[in-house]
Amino acid sequence: MLKNYFKTAWRSFWKHRSTGFINIAGLSVGMAAAVLIFIWVHNEFTFDDDQPDAENVYRITSHLAISKNETWVWESAPYQLGLEAKKTMPEVVAVTRVLPFHWEPMYLSINNEFFKEENAAYIDESWFNVFKTNFVSGNAIAFNQNPFSIILSESKAKKYFANQDAVGKIIRIDSANYQVQAVVKDAPANSSFKFDLFIPIAARQADAQEKKNDMSWGNFSYITFLKFKPGTNIKQATENLKSIIKPHRDKNDNLNITLRNLKAMHFESDLQNSGLVHAEKKVVYIFVILGALLLIIACINYVNLTTARASLRAKEVSIKKIVGAGRGHLFNQFVAESAVISVLALVLTVIIVSAALPSFNSFTNRNFSLTTGSAYLWLIMIGTLLLTIILNSIYPAVLLSSFKPLSAFRGGSVMKIKDTSLRKGLVVLQFTFSIFLIIGVITIYKQLSFVQSQNPGYDRSQIMSFNLSWKLLKGMKDDQKAAVKSTLKQAILQEPFVNGVSLVGMESIQSNGSFSSGSADWEGRPKDFNPSITYFNVDGDYNKLVNINFTSGRWFFPGSVDKRNVIINETAAKQFNLHKPYVGQRFIAQGDTGVVVGVVKDFNFQSMHAKITPVVFKLDQQWSSNYLVKVAPHKQAQAIARMESIWKQNFPDQPFSYQFLDQEFDKIYREDAKASTLMSGFAVVAIIISCLGLFGLAAFTAEQRGKEIGIRKVLGASIAGLVSLLSVEFVVLVLVALVIAAPLAYWLMNLWLQNFAYRISMQWWIFMAAGFVAVLIAFATVGLQTIKAAMANPVKSLRSE
Amino acid sequence: MIKITNLEKFYRTEEVETIALNKLSMHVDTGEFVAIMGPSGCGKSTLLNILGMLDDPDEGSYVFNDIEVAHFNERKRADLRKHNIGFVFQSFNLIDELTVFENVELPLIYTGVSAAERVKRVEEVLDKMQIMHRRNHYPQQLSGGQQQRVAIARAVVNKPKLILADEPTGNLDSSNGNDVMELLTDLNEQGTTIIMVTHSEHDARYSHRIIRLLDGQTVMENIMV
Repeated sequence: MLKNYFKTAWRSFWKHRSTGFINIAGLSVGMAAAVLIFIWVHNEFTFDDDQPDAENVYRITSHLAISKNETWVWESAPYQLGLEAKKTMPEVVAVTRVLPFHWEPMYLSINNEFFKEENAAYIDESWFNVFKTNFVSGNAIAFNQNPFSIILSESKAKKYFANQDAVGKIIRIDSANYQVQAVVKDAPANSSFKFDLFIPIAARQADAQEKKNDMSWGNFSYITFLKFKPGTNIKQATENLKSIIKPHRDKNDNLNITLRNLKAMHFESDLQNSGLVHAEKKVVYIFVILGALLLIIACINYVNLTTARASLRAKEVSIKKIVGAGRGHLFNQFVAESAVISVLALVLTVIIVSAALPSFNSFTNRNFSLTTGSAYLWLIMIGTLLLTIILNSIYPAVLLSSFKPLSAFRGGSVMKIKDTSLRKGLVVLQFTFSIFLIIGVITIYKQLSFVQSQNPGYDRSQIMSFNLSWKLLKGMKDDQKAAVKSTLKQAILQEPFVNGVSLVGMESIQSNGSFSSGSADWEGRPKDFNPSITYFNVDGDYNKLVNINFTSGRWFFPGSVDKRNVIINETAAKQFNLHKPYVGQRFIAQGDTGVVVGVVKDFNFQSMHAKITPVVFKLDQQWSSNYLVKVAPHKQAQAIARMESIWKQNFPDQPFSYQFLDQEFDKIYREDAKASTLMSGFAVVAIIISCLGLFGLAAFTAEQRGKEIGIRKVLGASIAGLVSLLSVEFVVLVLVALVIAAPLAYWLMNLWLQNFAYRISMQWWIFMAAGFVAVLIAFATVGLQTIKAAMANPVKSLRSE
Repeated sequence: MIKITNLEKFYRTEEVETIALNKLSMHVDTGEFVAIMGPSGCGKSTLLNILGMLDDPDEGSYVFNDIEVAHFNERKRADLRKHNIGFVFQSFNLIDELTVFENVELPLIYTGVSAAERVKRVEEVLDKMQIMHRRNHYPQQLSGGQQQRVAIARAVVNKPKLILADEPTGNLDSSNGNDVMELLTDLNEQGTTIIMVTHSEHDARYSHRIIRLLDGQTVMENIMV
C-alpha cells in the first residue's frame, strides 16, 4: 500500500513537473532560510550547555551605583576577591579567572613576522579544571608551571605553524618570548569563550607594577568564576562574597555583588561592556518569528498550487472513490505526494545550506558546519522537513479527499468561493510579508545613507590615524615621553605627501564616548549641576586637519598662550547656561582656570545613534598618544610606506598599524549595515517565494477561466482588455497586502529608527515605492500567463467543455 | 436484488428547484439485464448514481440485497459499494497516470487483497478481456474500444454482483460498441446483474427489460423476449 502511495505520488509529480519544480524551488529556498536561522537560534539558546556542571558555575557580577539613576554593571571583579573566596568559603570547589585581551589587539611576532591576534586571554591555573577543553597536543601542566607559556587553538596553530607541531615553538609578544605548551580544539559555536590564545595570568603579574595594580581591591579587571558544591545556597554564598569585599571598600560606596549562573550569561543585557560572547534575547526571538514566517510563506505556495489544481485532479479522486478508495486512502496519498515534494526540497535545501554556510558563518561570526558533531543540525533539518510536510499536507489532503465523487463528474465547480477566498487570503499574507520587508529595506537604506551623507561638521577625508601604545613608553619619565612623542611628530611632518600632523588624546575624532563629570566650573553653575563632558585633548595643529566651523571666537593660538583656555561646542554653551557673550567667559576645566576662546558648531563626534553632548577642547599633551596625519590627495600608498619606515626605525618590536578616519566612520555603522544586508536577504527570499506562488496561481487561473476567456473573446473582447481583466485580480491582492503591511511597517520601522538620535522620518513615498515595486513584480509574474491565456484560440477552450 | 419505492431527488439552486426523480418505484432481480432509456434530463443518470450509491435520495426507500441504504452515510455506502458494485462509464474514466494493469488493480488495493492474489486476478481478467498484451501501456496509448475493455475489466475484477453501465458504447464506433455489448451479455450470462443507461435502441435490445423514464417517473416497461 505504502509503495503504491509513493509510486502514484512520484508519477503525479513527474506529470506535473513544472508545478512540481515551482513547489520545490519555493520550498527549498524557504526551508534553507529557515534551517539557517534555526541553526543559529538553536546555537544561541544552548550557550555553554556542554560545560560539565554548568549549573554549579557562577560568575561574580559587580554593580556600582554612580548616581541615583545610573548603575554600572561589570562582569569582572577584583583579583583578590577570587583568592579570598577560595580560602574562606568552604562551599567553593574551584575559582578561576580570565582577563580577555580585548581593549587593544595583541601582536605576535613569529619568525620576525607580525600577526594580529584578536581573541587572546590571560587565564589562571584553574581554568582548565573548571572549563572542559579538549587538548589536541601538549597539556596544561607545563602551561601552569611556566609563566611564559602559550596555548593555541587548533586553527591558529595551523595558521601560524602550518603542519608542524606547534608545541615547543616560540612566539614573541612585545619584548618577551613565550613557548607554546599545548594546542586545544577550537571553541564550539555555542561557547562564550572564543579564545584562540591563552597566556597565564602569572606572565602578566611577572611585572611588579602590574601585580601591584592587580592586587588592588579597587581594580575590577578579572572575570571570576566560582564553582560551587552541588546544592549550595547561592544567596548565602553571595552574602559571603559581600562580607569578604566590604572591609576593603569605602564605607559609603554603593557596590553590590551578585552571582550569575554560567548558562544565564549569554543573554545578559545590563553589562557596561564585555569580553565574552553575548546576544540579545529579543533579537533571537525576532529571528525565530522570521524563520517560521519564511517557512510558512514557502508552504503557502504548495498549499495554494495543490488546492488550485484540485479540480484538475477531481476526476482521479472520483474514480478512485468509485472503485472503493476511502477518505483515508486518498488522504494518505496526498500526504505522500507532499512528502515526496518536501523530501526533494530538502535535498536541494541541504545543497543550498552547505553552499551558504561559509558566508553565513562570517556573517554571524560563528563556526557552524554540516559535518562535525552536528546531530542537532540534522535534527533541525528533519524537524523542518516534518513541519513542512504537516503544513503542506493537512489542508490539501483534507480538501482533496473530501470531494464527493459525483460533483466531480458533474463539472468543474468543485472549488467554490470558500476555497478561493482562502487561497487569496494566503497570497495576501505572503505579499504582506514581502511588502513589509521591502519597506524595511528602503527605510534602513535611507537612514544609513542619511547618516553617511550628513555633514558631520568636520573634515575627515585623507586623515590616517595611528596609536603609540603605552607599552612603548613604559618606564620613561614624563619629559622623556614628551620628547619621544614630539620627535616622532616632527619626523612625520618632514615627510613629503604629509600636509599636517596632530597629536591628540582620543582614539580618533569619533571619541569612543568617554565622559567625565564634576571636573568643570563656570560662573552661574548651580552647585549640584555636574553634566557629563567629553574632553578633546588636542594640540594647536588639530584644527588645521579637521577644520571645525566656529560660531564665535577662534582656535587656539600656537605656543602656550591658550594653555589654560578652552573651546566648547554649542551644546555645551547651551547646556551649561553660560553667560553671553560666550567668548571671554571664565571657565575652569580639570583644575585649569582659563577662558572660553571659541565656540564651535555642533558636530557628530559619535555615531548618529547618540545625541550630541557637551564637548570641551583643551590643549593637553600629557596623555596624548594618537597621531592624526593628513595625507596629500592620491598619495596614500606612498605616505603609508614612509610612515611605516619611520615607525620601524623607532619601534622595531611593534608592527605599524593604522586606520583612515573614513573607514573608522563606516565601522561604527557596521551593525546597521548588517541589519540592512539581512533585511535585503529576507526580502529577496520572501519575494522569490511569493512570486513563484503567484506565478503558479496565475497559470492556474488562466487555465480555469479558459472558457470564460473564450466566450468573451468570441463576443469581441480585446487582448488588452482580457489581460487587464485577469491581472487586476492579482494586483488587487497586492494592494490589499500593502494596506495591511504599511501600518505594521510604519510602527516597527519607527521602533528601529528610535535607535538613532538623528533620523529620517517615514515618508509616504516609501510606502508608495514599496507598493509600486510589489505591484510591478506581481504584474510581471502574472502578465506572461494572462497574455498567453488571452491570446489562446477560443475554439479550443470552448470545445473542451 | 434492488427495490426502490417512491424515490425522490431534488436539485436546488438559489431560486429554482428541479425535480430529478419524482416518486419513482422499481425493482431489479438478481441476474437481470435491465436497460434504462429516456430523453436528456429525464433523471436516468440521477437514478444510476443513486443505485450506485454515489448519491443519496432526498425521500423514499432503496433496498439493496435486503438492506435499506437510503439513509446510509458516505462511509457505509462506500463500503457496500466497493464490495458489490462495478461501474462502466461512457468516457471510460481510467486514471491517466496509471498503466492498464494498475488501473484494473486499483479496486483490489482498496478492498485489501494481497499483492500476489491481485496479480493473479488482474491477469485473469485482462486475459478474459483480451488486452493482456497491453498491460503495461497507459490509457492514452489505447483505442477507445480497448479503453472501455480496460474499464470493464476494472469493473469486474472485484467480482461484483451488480454492474452499472452509463452509456458504455456512447464514445465508441459500432463495431467496438457491439464488442462491448457482447462482453456485458457474457457477464450477465455468468450471473452478474447489469443495469445500463443508454440512448441506443440497438444496445437496449441486448437487455431483458427496458425501463423508460420521463420527467423523473417510469412511463413504460418493455419486457424483451
